[in-house]
Amino acid sequence: MANKKNILKFIFMIVSQWALFLLPINSYAQNNLTLPDWSGVWERYEGNGGMFDISTTKPPEGRAGRPGVRQYPPLTKIWEEKYKKNLELVAIDRLPDPISVCGTPAGFPRLLALPDVYEFIVRPEQTWIITENGPNIMRIYTDGRTLPKPDDRWLTYTGESVGYWENKTLVFKTISMIGEKSTILDRSGMTLSDQAEVNARMFKTDEGLLRVELVIEDSIALTEPWHVTRHFRRLITGTRVYDYACAENNRNPITNSGKTLTLGPDGKPIDIEF
Amino acid sequence: MYYHKNLLRKIITLAFLIVNVDIAHSHHSSAMFDKNDIRHVDAIVKEFQWANPHVWIQIYIENQNGKQEEWSIEGLGTNGLFRKGWRPNSFKPGDIIEIKFNPMLDGSSAGGFIGAKLTNGKTFGRW
Repeated sequence: MANKKNILKFIFMIVSQWALFLLPINSYAQNNLTLPDWSGVWERYEGNGGMFDISTTKPPEGRAGRPGVRQYPPLTKIWEEKYKKNLELVAIDRLPDPISVCGTPAGFPRLLALPDVYEFIVRPEQTWIITENGPNIMRIYTDGRTLPKPDDRWLTYTGESVGYWENKTLVFKTISMIGEKSTILDRSGMTLSDQAEVNARMFKTDEGLLRVELVIEDSIALTEPWHVTRHFRRLITGTRVYDYACAENNRNPITNSGKTLTLGPDGKPIDIEF
Repeated sequence: MYYHKNLLRKIITLAFLIVNVDIAHSHHSSAMFDKNDIRHVDAIVKEFQWANPHVWIQIYIENQNGKQEEWSIEGLGTNGLFRKGWRPNSFKPGDIIEIKFNPMLDGSSAGGFIGAKLTNGKTFGRW
């Protein structure tokens, strides 16, 4: 009898220890949370040298930073003028790209259109978007928190993001981005104001692409919501991600006039016109 | 039927993937290079700078007077190049190479890398 009791006690001990171990999983299961597999290394699917909205890019094969290449978001009159001025600077190679100085992040939503590779780290309480180029790290909180109140936030490159899971779709909102002061969306010179807000849905398609559907609202820059879709494709298993120290050997500083210099190995400009 | 549809969709997606892979990106504007001028020369490697945001190949090219001139040839970043088969020792001081590049518009002794071929036949970039 005593032996039977001991066996039951032992079984109870094992089960209770396992229950304790499984508690976090059970609590997520209570929320019906089944996280998707976004593991591995990804790269942007759309080409065009980083043009942000390729669906409206003209010419269709045009690359960001090339003269005459632009996109057509629903811009307000003022913002269309700003964009045209930047396009004119692009045409004479005088549009400084903020990330060329190797000191600041690309920011959101531009970080969805960068070269090199990406990682998407999915955890129950937050998702991280990590870009090799930059690098940039974006945190999207899914732990139930709300966006910070106006007094508790300031404009940043990546902004403030919160979201939730709708089955295997990450739904999130991003606000409080620094906008045109320090970021561009691509090298065509497209910018947004610091009033921009982004609502996004992110999910894996049947074809295995990671799809991000963005609805960008900006009461200053846009006349209506701007719908942009971007994709990522997974690279082969085993692909590694490397360090990216942009300032390590930056031989292309930007002058105050926006000209990109070329430095010789001695650190002095070799541009004849300089 | 469903299987065939799915297969067709996958083939179309794959075709798009192949066509849409972005092959090059510069950390800064590349407008200083003359895309309409391709120089194809023999050169001797002086130094290979394997560093971000761009690799640089310092080379000697013989000028019209038969004198060796140093040129700076700019490539892409290390990470993307590594994934394309480049290595930190792809070019060694003293290597004799054939190299193609877009020279600077203003005539400075620098250019944007297009491709290179080593004496053992190995090629890099577009060749």
